[in-house]
Amino acid sequence: MKITFPYWGNYTIAFELLAKKLGLEVVPPEKTTPKTIEKGVKIAPEMYCFPLKVNLGNFLEAIERGADTILMPTALGGSCRLRYYAFVQDKVLKEEGKDANFIIFDQSLDIFSKMKKISRASFFKMISATIFTLKVLNFIEKLEKKAQYLRPREIEKGDTDRILNSAFKRLREIQKFSELLKLEKEVSKELDQIKIERKKVPKVGIVGEIYTVCDHAINFEIERKLGNLGIEVHREMSLLYHLKKKIFFKDFFIQRKIKPYLGSTVGGHGRDAIYEMLKYVKEGFDGVIQLLPAYCMPESTVRPILEKIHQETKIPFLSLSLDEQVAEAGIDTRIEAFVDVVKNYHQHNANRCE
Amino acid sequence: MASKMKIGIPRALIYWKRPYFWEVFFENLGFEVLLSPETNKEIVEIGVKISDPETCFSNKVYFGHLKWLEEKCDLIFVPRLRRKGNFEYCPKFFGLPDLAKILVHPHTKFGVGVKTKILTETFDEKKKKFEESLVKLGKKLGKQKEEIEKAFQEALKKEKEIREKQEKEALEKLESNLKKIILISHPYNLYDEYVNLRIKERLEKLGVVPIFIEEIPTSNIEHLTSNFEFPQFHWEFAKEIMEKINEILKYEIDGAIEISSFACGCDAVLKEFVEKKFKENKIPFLYLIIDEHTGEAGFQTRLEAFIDTIP
Repeated sequence: MKITFPYWGNYTIAFELLAKKLGLEVVPPEKTTPKTIEKGVKIAPEMYCFPLKVNLGNFLEAIERGADTILMPTALGGSCRLRYYAFVQDKVLKEEGKDANFIIFDQSLDIFSKMKKISRASFFKMISATIFTLKVLNFIEKLEKKAQYLRPREIEKGDTDRILNSAFKRLREIQKFSELLKLEKEVSKELDQIKIERKKVPKVGIVGEIYTVCDHAINFEIERKLGNLGIEVHREMSLLYHLKKKIFFKDFFIQRKIKPYLGSTVGGHGRDAIYEMLKYVKEGFDGVIQLLPAYCMPESTVRPILEKIHQETKIPFLSLSLDEQVAEAGIDTRIEAFVDVVKNYHQHNANRCE
Repeated sequence: MASKMKIGIPRALIYWKRPYFWEVFFENLGFEVLLSPETNKEIVEIGVKISDPETCFSNKVYFGHLKWLEEKCDLIFVPRLRRKGNFEYCPKFFGLPDLAKILVHPHTKFGVGVKTKILTETFDEKKKKFEESLVKLGKKLGKQKEEIEKAFQEALKKEKEIREKQEKEALEKLESNLKKIILISHPYNLYDEYVNLRIKERLEKLGVVPIFIEEIPTSNIEHLTSNFEFPQFHWEFAKEIMEKINEILKYEIDGAIEISSFACGCDAVLKEFVEKKFKENKIPFLYLIIDEHTGEAGFQTRLEAFIDTIP
């Protein structure tokens, strides 16, 4: 059995390590490229949301390289189409004559029994693999956060990304806790050595759909681009944030905060986008970018609300819907224009404070 | 005596989930009801201008109706439909009352909402019985529990009457000797003649009998269990449609047409399985997407071609 799963930014590394730790044979998905997307779009249902098409592209490539089992996470609760991803992908792949087994990872507690069934690992091994994966996820997110701070401030442009890339490369090779700790130490030392200019820079918050905001291959590395243009990026939405939210019932508090704007859930992470935007406004950010797959149901429902907040508070706001027809050049132009607006806004606010 | 309070109901989207029910209910409570007119070109045009470009066509039409009612009545009724039994409605329905308050201005694109006050109430049958939510709604309007319950019963009676008539007609149609085409879609696409380009009339002119999936009797329907081929849907309409398709396959059907409004997220899922079901049973299947740009000529051609392929 050769297992594969969808590509999802740097998290791919964590999933690969998890599978390896459980003793499974893995065919790790390759980084999503325009070619991947093209392959997926060709066979995917036309009106389905964009991530499904990208996933299909990943699967097709992995199947070519010998994968026969697909691990597909789907959502439990949340009235979003993610629930039916595995069903639709299975159907579409079968119609293409590619037969692959699907294991649905539906974020409920029977994850453990499913993991046990496929890996035949002992309970202890599974627990330790889970903890290890969480540690790796934590490390990945810490690095991403750190890079968001460093990029606009580094003196030698590109230093941060160079270190980050090599860190992720080395992360893929590790097997043990001790190696992880060692790597963490080394990387943090390297990052500390980057020469930076301690200054106030404009800050932009990224809100939106979890897959698009976290996957740099889909969002055209928006975080890096903004960073290199001198913007400090903040992003609340991440995999660990999502998991924590599930465990601590954070939705309840979020709902209370956003009551004047939205009276109930709209599925997916719709409410979070509003909550985060309000938070960014309160913390004096200089702009908010919403990323969404085109025609995403929850995000397109909350977009008018985000626009309303933008009109009330005057904070610059940009909404980017991503799909197979979006070209990088177009996104670049929009980002650059937006950065100009953000910088003006930042300057204006700074002048007013003086 | 002061003139009666006027409640506006947009004749689109959720209205068609329970047609007549809300009108009769409010009328029995002693209010005047203003229904927006049947969908027309102006309503669609204004709807497209004031809503988010990526929301579905049906939603845009709904907002067009909402705008039409603006300042023509005292309150506009926009319920928040969450769940029917344990099954959810489309997630786009959840935010309707909130979005109604911030619709953009057609020219300045500034979120101004509708000027008339929105009357809303959440209907979540998993948390609260439909009737209880209804009582809460009635109390907002200053009515007594007894009055509300009486109005509810009246509305139910009327709804049942119409439903029975529809089901009887549907059964008669199923016995017909002509070619029978089953039309699968949401009620807001089936009953809104402007939106679906009068598909019923067109099919009748082509000499076939169109049958709406909505009108298939539900009394002795089998409930489906989940398997990997066909997932158990958590959407009420999806569950209903899949069950009704199973029911309809017991009869002899010559063809099936599914209509989706453009950018409908739920239909993107549903269509895959509806199509599969008909293909398995070797019934010709046509999938049509409608939006504000759908041209009549192209639509007609596709229908004619489809009817010709049916043996």
